[in-house]
Amino acid sequence: MSSDYEYSDEEADDVFDDDDMGMQDEDSDGDDGMELDDFKVPTKSTRKAYELDYDSLSQTAVEKLMEQDVEHIRGIFGVDASTAGLLLRHMSWNKERLIEKYMDNANKMLVAAGVAVPEPEPQRPSRRPSRKPKSPAKSETFVCSICFDDAPDLTPLALDCGHAACAGCWSAYITSKIRDEAEHACRCMAEGCALVAPDAFVRAQIDDETYTRFEELLVRHFVSCESHLKFCPYPSCTNTVSCPAAASKMSLTTVVPIVSCGARGIASTSGSMTQSQELVKQTTGKEHKFCFGCIIDSDHRPVVCGVALLWLKKCRDDSETANWIKSNTKECPKCMSTIEKNGGCNHMTCKKCKHEFCWVCMGPWSEHGTAWYSCNRYDEKGGVDARDSQSKSRASLERYLHYYNRWANHEQSAKLALDLFAKTEKKMEEMQITSTLTWIEVQFMKKAVEELDKCRMTLKWTYAMAYYLAKGNQKDLFEDNQRDLERAVEDLAELLESPIEPENIPTLRQKVTDKTVYVQKRNEIVLEDTADGFLEGRWTWNVAVDGFDSPEEAAT
Amino acid sequence: MDARLRRVNKEIADCKNDKTSNIRIDLVDSSPFHLKGSFPGPEDTPYQGGLFEVDIVIPESYPFQPVKMKFITKVYHPNVSSASGAICLDILKDAWSPVLTLKSTLISLQSLLCSPEPNDPQDAEVAKHYTTSKRSFEETAIYWTKTYATPRKAEEETKDDGRDEVAIAGLERAHVDQFEALGFPRAKVVSGPSFFPVEVMTVVSAHQIDVLRRLNYRGANVAQINDDRIVEELLK
Repeated sequence: MSSDYEYSDEEADDVFDDDDMGMQDEDSDGDDGMELDDFKVPTKSTRKAYELDYDSLSQTAVEKLMEQDVEHIRGIFGVDASTAGLLLRHMSWNKERLIEKYMDNANKMLVAAGVAVPEPEPQRPSRRPSRKPKSPAKSETFVCSICFDDAPDLTPLALDCGHAACAGCWSAYITSKIRDEAEHACRCMAEGCALVAPDAFVRAQIDDETYTRFEELLVRHFVSCESHLKFCPYPSCTNTVSCPAAASKMSLTTVVPIVSCGARGIASTSGSMTQSQELVKQTTGKEHKFCFGCIIDSDHRPVVCGVALLWLKKCRDDSETANWIKSNTKECPKCMSTIEKNGGCNHMTCKKCKHEFCWVCMGPWSEHGTAWYSCNRYDEKGGVDARDSQSKSRASLERYLHYYNRWANHEQSAKLALDLFAKTEKKMEEMQITSTLTWIEVQFMKKAVEELDKCRMTLKWTYAMAYYLAKGNQKDLFEDNQRDLERAVEDLAELLESPIEPENIPTLRQKVTDKTVYVQKRNEIVLEDTADGFLEGRWTWNVAVDGFDSPEEAAT
Repeated sequence: MDARLRRVNKEIADCKNDKTSNIRIDLVDSSPFHLKGSFPGPEDTPYQGGLFEVDIVIPESYPFQPVKMKFITKVYHPNVSSASGAICLDILKDAWSPVLTLKSTLISLQSLLCSPEPNDPQDAEVAKHYTTSKRSFEETAIYWTKTYATPRKAEEETKDDGRDEVAIAGLERAHVDQFEALGFPRAKVVSGPSFFPVEVMTVVSAHQIDVLRRLNYRGANVAQINDDRIVEELLK
């Protein structure tokens, strides 16, 4: 597999096309890896404890991976590429199981995947819509059974099963499947017919835009089936990250897999970006940083996913949106997608992972055959539990607020960083005018702001971590590090806000540069130490966190 | 002409012309995309003799997305919500196919009434009733059919208050009387499910039927639920 990860030329071009701000040259953290042909060469010779290896793949690169799998299956089964693709998609790209099952009963597999029509057709008469007595003979005018159009120029279209409809209906049907339902497997329109439209057929019926969406759906499906791949969560970004080190749930207790998809923001389509949008792009749009292990789409180092999610959930408990989400949605027990139930029965099928479960007890539906009525009792018990936990949380509210206020403060400051950034740019210009410093020499200001932003992110999450850390020496040490970083950050922030007098620019420059380096150091200490702690299993929590020992056991 | 409109018009016309199926589709207002379907309850079922009305909303992307249907008439059936009329039927969800029509979907609803699927319930309480005691369930279903699905004459309408709320909840009068005798006033003893019309609610108000219904105090279950449990619930 390893040699599969190659970057196409288009990918490299994209990176440079998007990189039109001209100010990102020194900010090459994510880039080093991008230009390497072979991912086996470590991205950095000295990898820090809080970083891990990953690769960014463009959609084209992922499509290549898919093609390789398809080729592989094609070679073994001796079928055409389209069939191999449908088989793989049906088996969620699990090649081993597909091969096993196919060898067992090839025909059954083909029927299940919607490639072939089942051989014996005892239900043949019922497959035809009853309202149409007989399918019209070829010589008669064709009447589409979907839209009842009988125009003479109507062309009947059908898959191998022969259930014909007019081209317009096929097009509308497939477009609606792809655009409204995000479904990549478009089955025949006839009732009970399980044949899936092959890619070529789909291509012929829909416009380019919908086909692009179709291709993206295929890639997304593939990515969601492979545990070492994750799709970039940023809007309209189509890149994928491969991170085998964080593929298993277990690994998430020791590493914080923050990755970047390699896209440098989406190239602006028009020159009419507002100034604030420009700023957003410059400060946050540079890299799509997200966590490979959980759903947080930003950097939540140093704290591990489980704890970060606990914290976020807690913070959202109060907000109105959260109340709505809480009362109207639940998470799929398998893939954790948020699901709103807006009608229908309690038998839920997750649109994304197809997991079937009971809305009331969230248990798998398969176990509900006859025992579904146990679900009714759940509500009462759940209600009691909810009330219990509520009174407990009220008791600890004060403690929580201490951490929350600091957490929120850093988040707020990080948001204000946009303003700070604008101000700093102005200052940089000012400096170039009032002093003899050149453009390159005033870059220290920008570096300082960037560093500040990064550190605030770290600080923010250290409060989430500290909230859940069990009392003890380890926590004290952690909070010492946190305090040092915080102090350094505030000093630097104050320096940056201070007014600029032409005569003391050189001293200011010296001070800012020194502080920046210091802050950077402190930040690394916090990140490294925490990451090491996770690897060594040094941290213990005051609540139960998935994958860690329970607090009681740890205390003994 | 718009394909959706053409198709819906044809479906309505087809249904009008077909006298054998007993399925009716009527306009609710001037729009052909909001309709009211109705069909008679199937023979030899508790729904026999009733006329069941269904609210039909045709979505923008019909026939490529399923039509939205729910019962207007109250139905006592495991796969139909006794409160909202929502229906649990595969062809109204993932198993929808564009070749299905309003008529064929209504026929499917009719056959759903013939063959309840209590293992995939919409209304868990009704389904519980069904599995505990089919006989008692059927009695209640018949009573609902009589009460809600049978067209009544004007003078009978006025006797609305006479509805037997104990039978509507699918309980035995003896059981309700038993707890009334324990000192729970009938108002507390006999309470309808929350969807009852207001005038019934005022007469019946609150609690006991609700409690007994919730505990599924029917058939073999009666022996298993002890009185203390019920008294405890009644006191809540």
